[in-house]
Amino acid sequence: MKDVSRLKRVLDQGGFAVTAECGPPKGADAETILKKAEILRHTVDAVNVTDNQTAIVRMSSLAACSLLKSAGLDPVLQVVVRDRNRIALQSDILGASALGIRNILCLSGDHQSFGNQPQAVGVFDLDSIQFVQVVRTMRDKGTILGGEILTKAPDLFIGAAANPFGDPFSFRVIRLAKKVAAGAEFIQTQCIYNLDRFEKFMAMARDKGLTKKTSILGGVTPLKSAGMARYMKKKVAGMDVPDEVVKRMEGVPAKKQADEGIKICVETIQRLKEIPGVRGVHVMAIEWEEKVGEIVERAGLLPRPA
Amino acid sequence: MESRVIPDTKAQAGKQTRMTQARKRTLALFYCQNTPESGEAQRQALEKRYASRLKLFPIPCSGRLDPLHLLKALEEFADAAYVIACPEGACRYFEGNLRATKRVDRTAQTIAQIGLEKERVGIVANSKENPKPLAKLAEEILDRTGELRPSPVLERPRRGKGTKEKKDDHSRKKTH
Amino acid sequence: MITAERKPIDEIMAMIAPYKRVLVLGCGSCVAECAAGGEKETGMLASTLRMANKMEGKEVLIQEKTLDRQCVKDFVILLDDVIGQYDAVLSLGCGAGVQAVAEMFSELPILPALNTEFLGETREQGYWVENCLGCGDCMLHFFGGVCPLARCSKQLLNGPCGGSRDGKCEINPEVPCAWQAIIDRLERFEALDRLEQIYPPKDWSRKQGGGPRKIMREDQQR
Repeated sequence: MKDVSRLKRVLDQGGFAVTAECGPPKGADAETILKKAEILRHTVDAVNVTDNQTAIVRMSSLAACSLLKSAGLDPVLQVVVRDRNRIALQSDILGASALGIRNILCLSGDHQSFGNQPQAVGVFDLDSIQFVQVVRTMRDKGTILGGEILTKAPDLFIGAAANPFGDPFSFRVIRLAKKVAAGAEFIQTQCIYNLDRFEKFMAMARDKGLTKKTSILGGVTPLKSAGMARYMKKKVAGMDVPDEVVKRMEGVPAKKQADEGIKICVETIQRLKEIPGVRGVHVMAIEWEEKVGEIVERAGLLPRPA
Repeated sequence: MESRVIPDTKAQAGKQTRMTQARKRTLALFYCQNTPESGEAQRQALEKRYASRLKLFPIPCSGRLDPLHLLKALEEFADAAYVIACPEGACRYFEGNLRATKRVDRTAQTIAQIGLEKERVGIVANSKENPKPLAKLAEEILDRTGELRPSPVLERPRRGKGTKEKKDDHSRKKTH
Repeated sequence: MITAERKPIDEIMAMIAPYKRVLVLGCGSCVAECAAGGEKETGMLASTLRMANKMEGKEVLIQEKTLDRQCVKDFVILLDDVIGQYDAVLSLGCGAGVQAVAEMFSELPILPALNTEFLGETREQGYWVENCLGCGDCMLHFFGGVCPLARCSKQLLNGPCGGSRDGKCEINPEVPCAWQAIIDRLERFEALDRLEQIYPPKDWSRKQGGGPRKIMREDQQR
């Protein structure tokens, strides 16, 4: 496959983009990630590969993205600033581009205390917004931090994450504006269960003119059980799971809860399609990648453009 | 201390010298001066009555207690060191008794780290409804601490590996 | 001030085990303020260690002394007359104090009784919080007097991250989110728009760039 961002092409052509997330294995086994990729091949435009998510050691996202690229998919390289200083980050950008990877998502990363290496130092040399700016400058000006000129500029479609549900709510759109000003061309949000609140967020984003400058993809995660709904409501920072959603999951017998979760996910996507300024959906079905196809199909988003 | 207690602790502690068997335990008691019937005259009378079993130290408020006082007492002569405080809500200086409790707790944790029983230190708040005089409280605390074995800090030390056996220390109070 | 906490007693006992004549040395400055190494705490530790040694049948001389400051040579030098009596010093100074004493009396083992922790303030009696990293390039005037490097768990200059919840940090509900504090502060000054600008990457060379740092002031020297 040519070294082109399929995700960017779909968005440029005015389509409603579909991306999904894929976690690398906790080991050196290339086959695992390739198997997951096969499941997603015809259901999405691009596949995000997480970067030591939750600060748990996994195969590097750069290596996993390279494997996906060789298999003919369009990977989105997720990079957190928790583990690498600016030297390593800029170096990895050059490497990613050289390997033909054409999408990057710049993130802060979960704090190291959450994972299996809590004694590690958290680097945080740059923050995610500065990182977006650095990548943009490398690509558009061909220089690294400090101004030195690159022999060849990297070619990457640059994205950042947004959480419409974190506190303080009033500040969330200002933060989004900063990411856009730094150069973020696409945004993937935290998973959405509270559509009313998300619609308010999108209205504020439109008011500020941000939807013209960046492509916002709404995040969704299918719930597997009522227990999962309750857990995400109470224990996960920056998540808004309304009581009605929990009740809906609880109102269904255990064996049927997974199906209900998928139903809710599909309905969410259908609502997202109606919100002006939402340019696509990002499906995060961690360790449940086999359901992505069904969700995308039921949401009326198949087939994906070639 | 009633001698009936000593045979039990002797069995538990293992080898003990004759001096240890005979040594009576000493309680250091720091008491808030607002405790009923705790004037100078009563203090002297109590020390006379209990002889070396009890040493009394008046303080203007239990909140003035420095944990160092308790530690020094345990280090130098006391098998137990206790504080008498006013009832909760009745402290003349409002919170002295609450602060004292926290400090005593911390001291208990410290001595536990070196292998001393936490019960060697403590704080007793006088009753709000029926405040007891010093003499009664002293008697109760003596009873309470009576079960403790003689403090290993004050004992003739057991021979440790590679250390000389300590010579007879004439400066230490002998209570038999 | 610099804060510290006393090491567990068993760790201290193991440290002083090889020695027979130990000076327990307190400091009247920062560690006294945080109730870890002042005269009182020094007295308590010395007493505790003496008791522990008695119980183990060990004959060890343990004496205590407290200096106004351990990190200033002029105070440390006051030990000159007495230091010969000891074969080790157990210092209740912060790391700076321990090392200053070791610098002066380099033939003696100077042992740390405390774990030095952070630069911070006494928010309330008995409650100390970290608030400064010593980055060498203070930016407090941009952030309403709240340091995003020292007080944000991810050192974000363009925060908050997505994990801020109810004004608390994602890593622990007891840790305040520094960025919530910054936003509240700037709102009060009606300067929230200051946060629309992108703060560039931090110059860490002012902290680490030249290795361990120093300050030389000729106008202050003899």
